[in-house]
Amino acid sequence: MSSGRGSSHLSVRALLVLVIALLLLCSVVLPVRASAGIGFQPVNPDELKMKSEPEAPGAPAIILFREVDRNDDRYMPHEDNYLRIKILTEEGRNFANVELGFEKGLENIVNVHGRTIRADGSIVEFDGRVFEKSVVKGRRGTAFLVKAFTLPSVEVGSIIEYFYTVDLKEHYVFNSRWILSQDLFTKDARFTLKPYSSPYNEFHLRWTWQLLPQSAQPKQGPNGVVEMTAHNIAAFQTEDFMPPENELKARVDFIYEEEQPGSDPDKFWKTIGKKRNSALESFVGKRKTMDEAVAQIVLATDTPEQKLRKIYSRVQQIRNTSYEIRKTEQEEKRDKEKAIANVEDIWKRGYGDGMQLTWLFLALARAAGFEAHGCWVSDRRQYFFHRNLMESGQLDANVVQVKLDGKDVYFDPGGAFTPFGMLTWSETGVVGLRLDADGGTWIQTTIPQASESQIRRDAKLKLSDTGDLEGRLTVTYTGLEAMYRRLEQRHEDDTARKKYLEDSIKEQIPAAAELELTNKPDWTSTGTPLVAVLDLKIPGWASGAGKRALLPVGFFTAHEKNIFEHTNRVYPIYFEYPYQKIDDVTVDLPPGWKVGSVPPQKTQDSNVVLYDMKVEGGKGTVNVVRKLNVDIVLVDVKYYAALRNFFQIVRTGDEQQILLQPSDATASN
Amino acid sequence: MNNRSCCNPQMQRRATKNFGLLQLAGFVLLACATCLAGDAPQWLHAQSNVTLPAYDDKTDAVLLYSETEVTVVSVDKIKTTVREAYKILRPNGRSRGTVHVAFNPQQKVKSLHGWCIPAQGKDYEVKDKDAIEASLSLEGAELISDVKYKQLQIPASEPGNIVGYEYELEDHPFFLQDEWVFQGRDPVRESHYSLQLPQGWEFKTSWVNRAEVSSSQAGNNRWQWALSDVKAIRNEPAMPPIEGVMGQMIVTFFAPGGKTGFAAWDDMGRWYSALLAGRIDATPEIKQQVATVTSGKATQLANMEAIAKFVQSDIRYVAIELGVGGFQPHPAAEVFAHRYGDCKDKATLTRSMLREIGVESFHVVINTERGAVTMETPAHHGFNHAIVAVKLPEGIKDSSLVATMQDPKLGRLMFFDPTDEMTPFGQIRGALQANYGLLVTPDGGELIRLPQQPSEMNSIERTAKLTLDGQGTLMGEVKEVRLGERASSERWALRTVNKDQDRIKPIEALLASALPSYRITKAQVINLSRTDQPFGFDYSFQSTGYAKNAGGLLLVRPRVLGNKGYGFLETKEPRNFPIELEAPARDIDSFEITIPAGYVVDDIPPPVDADYGFASYHSKTEIKGNVIDYTRTFEVKELSVPVSRADDLKKFYRIIAGDERNTVVLKAVGQ
Repeated sequence: MSSGRGSSHLSVRALLVLVIALLLLCSVVLPVRASAGIGFQPVNPDELKMKSEPEAPGAPAIILFREVDRNDDRYMPHEDNYLRIKILTEEGRNFANVELGFEKGLENIVNVHGRTIRADGSIVEFDGRVFEKSVVKGRRGTAFLVKAFTLPSVEVGSIIEYFYTVDLKEHYVFNSRWILSQDLFTKDARFTLKPYSSPYNEFHLRWTWQLLPQSAQPKQGPNGVVEMTAHNIAAFQTEDFMPPENELKARVDFIYEEEQPGSDPDKFWKTIGKKRNSALESFVGKRKTMDEAVAQIVLATDTPEQKLRKIYSRVQQIRNTSYEIRKTEQEEKRDKEKAIANVEDIWKRGYGDGMQLTWLFLALARAAGFEAHGCWVSDRRQYFFHRNLMESGQLDANVVQVKLDGKDVYFDPGGAFTPFGMLTWSETGVVGLRLDADGGTWIQTTIPQASESQIRRDAKLKLSDTGDLEGRLTVTYTGLEAMYRRLEQRHEDDTARKKYLEDSIKEQIPAAAELELTNKPDWTSTGTPLVAVLDLKIPGWASGAGKRALLPVGFFTAHEKNIFEHTNRVYPIYFEYPYQKIDDVTVDLPPGWKVGSVPPQKTQDSNVVLYDMKVEGGKGTVNVVRKLNVDIVLVDVKYYAALRNFFQIVRTGDEQQILLQPSDATASN
Repeated sequence: MNNRSCCNPQMQRRATKNFGLLQLAGFVLLACATCLAGDAPQWLHAQSNVTLPAYDDKTDAVLLYSETEVTVVSVDKIKTTVREAYKILRPNGRSRGTVHVAFNPQQKVKSLHGWCIPAQGKDYEVKDKDAIEASLSLEGAELISDVKYKQLQIPASEPGNIVGYEYELEDHPFFLQDEWVFQGRDPVRESHYSLQLPQGWEFKTSWVNRAEVSSSQAGNNRWQWALSDVKAIRNEPAMPPIEGVMGQMIVTFFAPGGKTGFAAWDDMGRWYSALLAGRIDATPEIKQQVATVTSGKATQLANMEAIAKFVQSDIRYVAIELGVGGFQPHPAAEVFAHRYGDCKDKATLTRSMLREIGVESFHVVINTERGAVTMETPAHHGFNHAIVAVKLPEGIKDSSLVATMQDPKLGRLMFFDPTDEMTPFGQIRGALQANYGLLVTPDGGELIRLPQQPSEMNSIERTAKLTLDGQGTLMGEVKEVRLGERASSERWALRTVNKDQDRIKPIEALLASALPSYRITKAQVINLSRTDQPFGFDYSFQSTGYAKNAGGLLLVRPRVLGNKGYGFLETKEPRNFPIELEAPARDIDSFEITIPAGYVVDDIPPPVDADYGFASYHSKTEIKGNVIDYTRTFEVKELSVPVSRADDLKKFYRIIAGDERNTVVLKAVGQ
C-alpha cells in the first residue's frame, strides 16, 4: 500500500498550509465531522481486541478507517490523508513500511505523523524519520521521488496510524481521484473534496464513479464540498485473464473543465465529433496530391479490393515513426524532421506516426473512390468506453471505415504489421465515433473470428524404438497471432528471432524437447503468415507399459495444462482476442510396432469455445488432429466454472494415449 | 546488508592502459579539444578500426577497450577514472549505450561523458547534464539506502556503431581495497588497469578465476596490468553466480602504519569486529525481554529457541542502510526499541539476547548465493547477508540441531539465520548450506564452510490412498508432510495469502499440473505457522478421466502427483559451467491405487534404479491384490554437478521423466 511522509522539518510554507488547512477545516468541515482535521483517533478497545475481520477472513491487515480530505484551494491546494490499520498477522506488519511517490515541483509530502498502538493499548510514537529517495531525477529539474518511513514496535494485534499532507503546487488545478479499492480490505472510509474556485478562471468540476459499495455515492453539500462515506470495501487482487484493473476498482474521478459540463451525453459527443471531424478534414484535405498518389499505386483495371489492398500495402511501407526505437534529443535534432501537418507532408517526406498513416490511408482510399470515414474509437487496453462519462480522451485510437463490396470494413494501417482488414486487438469490438460534419455516428468495430488468428502446427515425426520422437515441425501464425510476434520482434536480429521462436514453441511442448529453426521466416510482411520450420526432437515421448508402449497425443498442449487451475474466481475472464489452434501431427512408428488402439474422438463444442481431438491409426503410422477455438473476449464470472470445466475437458483429451504394441503380438484387446 | 562493492555490471571498473604522464596529458588536451567539437576523444576513435576478437552470432557486443586508472591520494581519498568502448554487434547490444555509475554519499561522480561513433555521420557526445539520477533500490530489499546511480544514454547506440564513456569517481572508502573485474558478458579485446600509490604505500593483488598476470612498473609508485582477448561469460541455467566465475583482480592497499585493506580474511574479520564494538550491549529492556521469553523454560536449548523465535518473528525485517550502515549494524538497543532491523541488525540483537543467557555467539557475513565466495576467494567484501554462529554450550545434543560444525578454536558452532523466519532453529536454508562465510570473532575472523544438512531434513513425504473406478475416475486422500526448505517455501508462499479460501491454491496448482481435471473435496493446511513442526497438506480430490480407456484397456499412470525432472539441459549448446542444485533433498512418494472391480493388471512398468552419486532415483510399481502400489524416492546428495557430468544429469532427468510417464495397463476380467 502506498503512502508518504513529509520532511522531518516542516517548512514555513508547509506549516502555513497546515495552519490554513486547519482553519479551513474548522470553519468549513468541522460542522460536518469533528475529526476531519485528521489527527490521531481515540484508541478503540474493540479494535484493539479484534483478531480478525469476518468480511475479510484470512486478511493480514485491514484498514479500519481511511480519510482523504482534498482542498483544491486556489492558493494552497493540498490533500490530507489519514489511515488507521489493524495488523492481524505477521505478514501484515509490512504495512507499517510506507512509501509515497510524488513528482517534485508539482507536489510534496509534508506533515507526516504516525504512531503504533500496541495490543496492550500502549502507544509508541513514530520518531519522525522520513527518508527521501529519488526514483528518477532528470534534466530540467524533473524528479519523481519517494518519501518512505516505517512505524516502530509493530506486532500482530497492533493498530498503526499515520497521516500526512500532499502539498500541491499553488495556482495549479489538478484533476484527482478517490481510489477506494486498496490492497487491504477497508472497513470505513470518508472522502471530501473542496473544489477550486476563483473569480478569475472558470473551471467547472464534474465527477464520475464506478463500482462503489452499496450506499456510497459522492454528494455535493451546500458548502460546495463533495463528500462520500463508504464501508466494507473489498481488497483488490489480481487474477490471470482479468479485464483492465481500472475497470475493476471502485473509484471516483474528478475532472476540471473549462466549459460548464452538460448533462446530455449526445450533445457532448456531437460537439466532440464536430471538432475532431474538422481537424481530420483539415489534415486529409489534400485531394490533388492524393489523386496523384493513388494514380501511382493502383491500376484502373484493379478490382476494388485489389485497389484497397495496394493502398493499404503502400501506406504500411511508409516509415512509421511510432514503432521506431525512441531517439535521443540529439538524434532528433540532427535528423531535422519537421512536424507533419497533413497527408501531403507524409506522402512527400515519407514518414509519419501511426495515427497519421491511418489518416493517409483514409485520404488515399477516398481519392481512389471509396466511401471511407475516419473513426475515433476507444482502445480497450486500459479502460472500457463509458459514453455517459463524457470524457473525450476515451476516444483515443483512430481507424478507418471503408465500404468494400457493400460491407463496412475497418482498417488501421498505422498499427505496424496489422493485416489487411484487421485491427490491433485493443481496437476490436469497441465503440467509436464515425466522424462527419454533423458530429458523427456511433459505430462498433468488429471482432475477428477465432479462425482469423491461428496457430497451426503441422508435424511429420518418427518414433524411435527407444521412445524418442524426431522430425520436421512447421508452425504457421496468421492474423493477430502473426502480427504480435512480428511486432514484438521488430527490432531484433535473426539470431534473437530464432531463439524467440524456438523457446516459445518449446514452451508449448509438455516435455523437455530440442528444437532448431531451419528456415528464414518472413518477419517484415503483414500480408503473409509467419511460418517457422523446425527440426524437433522429444526424447522419451513414448513410455513403456510392459510389453506395450504408449504414445501421448497432446504434443503442443502445455499452455492449456495450467490455465484456470483455481476453483475460485473474483473477476470476469478477459481474452485479448479470439484465437484458434490447430495441430496436425503424423507419427511413423518404428519397425516392429503397430497401433493397438487409438483414443476415441473427443469433441466439446460449447459454442464460443470448441475442442476436438481426433486420432487415426494406420499401417505403421498415426495421425493426430487437434483443434481448439476460443471465440470469446469477455466472460462473466458466473460462467467461470463452465469455462474451467471446458479446459479440464481439454486437458483430459490432451492426456489420452495411443496404445502401441509389437507387430507380432496377438492382441487380446 | 548492503554489499558496497557490488555495483551495476555496466559500471564495473576495468583496467587502465600503460600510458606515460605525457601521453595522458596529451589525452586530456585532445579530449578537451575534441569535446568542443562534439567529437569522440582520440582514445575512442583509436578503436574504430581495430580487429575484433573472435565472436559468435550470439555475441551482443565486444568490449573493445577498457581502462581503469586508480589513484590513491590518501587513506581517505581514491580517484578512479574509467574509460570503456564497445562495438555494438546486435540489437541486444544497444543496452551498452546506457551507462550506469553507482555512487553513495562517500563517493562523488566528478565527471561523466559518453560518445558514439556512428558507422556513418558525425560523432555524438553527451555529458553529466544529460544524465538522470535515481536511487538504487531492490524489490523487497532496503526500505532506505543511500546508494544512487547516474544513468547516461548515449545517442545512436545501434548495431554497427561504437559507444564509449568516461567517468571519474572520487571515493572516500571505508576500507582500502579495489576490484578489477575484467570479465563479463561480452568478449574483451583489451583491458587495462593502473594503480598509483602515494610514497611508502604497498599493495597486494589476488586473482580470481584467472592465473596471475604480472604488473609492470610505469613510473614512481605506479603499476599497470593488461589483458587481451578475454572470453565472455554466457548465462546458463542453474550456473554458479557470476561473482564466482568471472575473472577479477582484488587489489589491497597498505598505507604505512595506518588504515589498510584486507590482506587476509582475518583482517576483514578484525575490521568487521570493530564495527560491532558495543553494538550487542543489552539494555535493561532487552534483559527484561530475555527474562520474559525464557521464563519457565527448562533447558538452555529451550531458552535459545525462545530467543531465536522472538527475533525471527517479532523483529520485522526493515533495512535502513545509510553510510557505513551498509556494513555496520544498528545497536541492539535500537533494534529492540524499534522492533525492526535488517539481517545484521537482527543478528546483533540475537547475539545480545543470547549473551544474557550466557551463550556466546558470533556474526557470520555471507553471500546468499552459494558459489559467490569460495574457499579460493581472496579476502574482500563479497557478502550481502549476515547470520549468527551460536557456540553451543556443553551438553546440548539434540538431533534437531543439524546446522552445526566443529570449530577447532571455538568448539561446536550452530548456524542460525534470524532473518529467515520460516526456517526453524537448528537448521539453515539450502542457499547457506555448504556456502562460505566470514566468521567474525572479537580478535579477527576466518572463512568457514557452513555445514551441508542431511538430505532427509529437506523432504516431501507424500502418501496417497486412492481408488479408481471403471470410468477412469480417481479419488481419494493425500497426505503431504514437508520438512526443511520444502516446508519453508510453502510457508513463505502462503504468508501473503489474503483470504482463507486462497490457502489451498498451492494444492490446486499441484493437482492442476498433474491431473487432467480435479475437484477438491477436502483440504487442510497443517502447521502453517508452527515452524518447529513439519508442514503439511491433507487433501482429498476426485479426478474424472484420470485413467484412459484404450481399446477395452484402462491405462493408469501410477505416479499420480509431483514432477522431479527438469528439461533445461535439453539443448545443443555445450555446457560451460557446473550445475548448481538448490539444496540436499529427499522426497518419497507412496501411492496406493485400488483398481476397479472387474479389472486385473495386465502390464506394469519396470522398476527404475538410477544412482549417479550426486543424486538418485528409485521407483517401483507392484501389485498387491487389487492395489497398485507405486513408490519412489528422489534424493539430491550433492549441491554442485561438475560440467563433466552434465550429460549424466541430463540422462538422470530423462530417466525420471520417463518413469513419471509410465503406465499400468488394466484389462477387464476375462478379456
